[in-house]
Amino acid sequence: MHEMSLMHEIIQLVSEDAKSRGFYKVKQIQVIVGDLSNVLPDALELAFFYFSKKKMGLLDEESQLKIIHEKAIAQCQTCLHKFEPDFRLALCPKCGLLNGFLISGETFQVESYEGSDEIEN
Amino acid sequence: MKLKIELREDVLKDLNTAASFNRDLFKENQTLVINLMSSPGAGKTTLLEETVKRLADEFKIAVIEGDLATDRDAERLRTLGIKTVQINTVGGCHLDARMVAKVIPEFDFESIDILFIENIGNLVCPSGYDLGQDYKVVVLSVPEGNDKIPKYPVMFKRTDITIINKIDLLPYVSFNLEEADRDLKQINPKAQLKTLSAKTGEGMNEWINWIKDVYRTCIKP
Ligand SMILES: Nc1nc2c(ncn2[C@@H]2O[C@H](COP(=O)(O)OP(=O)(O)OP(=O)(O)O)[C@@H](O)[C@H]2O)c(=O)[nH]1
Ligand SMILES: [Mg+2]
Ligand SMILES: [Zn+2]
Repeated sequence: MHEMSLMHEIIQLVSEDAKSRGFYKVKQIQVIVGDLSNVLPDALELAFFYFSKKKMGLLDEESQLKIIHEKAIAQCQTCLHKFEPDFRLALCPKCGLLNGFLISGETFQVESYEGSDEIEN
Repeated sequence: MKLKIELREDVLKDLNTAASFNRDLFKENQTLVINLMSSPGAGKTTLLEETVKRLADEFKIAVIEGDLATDRDAERLRTLGIKTVQINTVGGCHLDARMVAKVIPEFDFESIDILFIENIGNLVCPSGYDLGQDYKVVVLSVPEGNDKIPKYPVMFKRTDITIINKIDLLPYVSFNLEEADRDLKQINPKAQLKTLSAKTGEGMNEWINWIKDVYRTCIKP
């Protein structure tokens, strides 16, 4: 799949932001991965491991990746019931109408990172 | 000193910016853009060939062909006299908006009415990438089985139109159209379902008329 290129994207995004704030290192990156984002957390970890060994961007070998899982939750637009859908993403289990709307589960974002302005060798 | 920065930024932000850029350009030039997705071999290229043949008299058509490695599908369309640009992703499992943006200068969009983009054969990854298209269309072929809809809900949730192709094979393989229709609605109530055979031409008219309709109502009224 494409987790290598996604991780590449993440590290670039974070490193650029960190540079612009005067950091020299990125110690940790926190990423939110939704159940329906089609992103495999294990593959992301592996990609991060690879890039941190190569010290890409502002990473070094000690840099850490934290993945926060986001559950798929839908809300019925008719009865306002919130539910964890199976594959039938739009089917409200309470009123049976096809009016469910995903309110979480598709997120794939960089939540935060930890920058350091200490110069190390 | 260490400091935590709350960034809260979409990983695909830059790619989504590229998609908006493409979308603006397509809009300015009044080009209808359709992003065709499916698993390998569902019939995207065959459907394109048959579609193009039926539209070429009325519309100026162009194609972007996404493939892992070869130029074969692009050649099939060039044979029909259609301006076709190949994007080889060299192993990449989907097209993204930057790849599309890169080949945009190879077309004269001012004169193009409809652009079809054939995505990489894959029922998972392409669904997450906005290319700047007007419509996302997924092709599911009868031999794959109707259980692909519940198995790949994200793809079907994110597409506007599901085409069930190869209906000429319905007598030979078990594919439950009613179940497909029900499952699709439960995933994406707004999705439109079209059934056809790119090979025999059955059902092609409805698809062709849909394209003509959206072109005349949404793109160039
Ligand atoms: N019986 C039947 N065969 C079809 C139909 N449409 C396509 N095919 C056949 O299915 C095979 C694959 O078709 P393609 O059009 O190359 O499929 P594709 O989705 O473009 O494949 P990739 O680009 O490799 O992902 C070919 O042998 C086609 O002749 C159809 O409606 N009925
Ligand atoms: Mg093809
Ligand atoms: Zn309800």
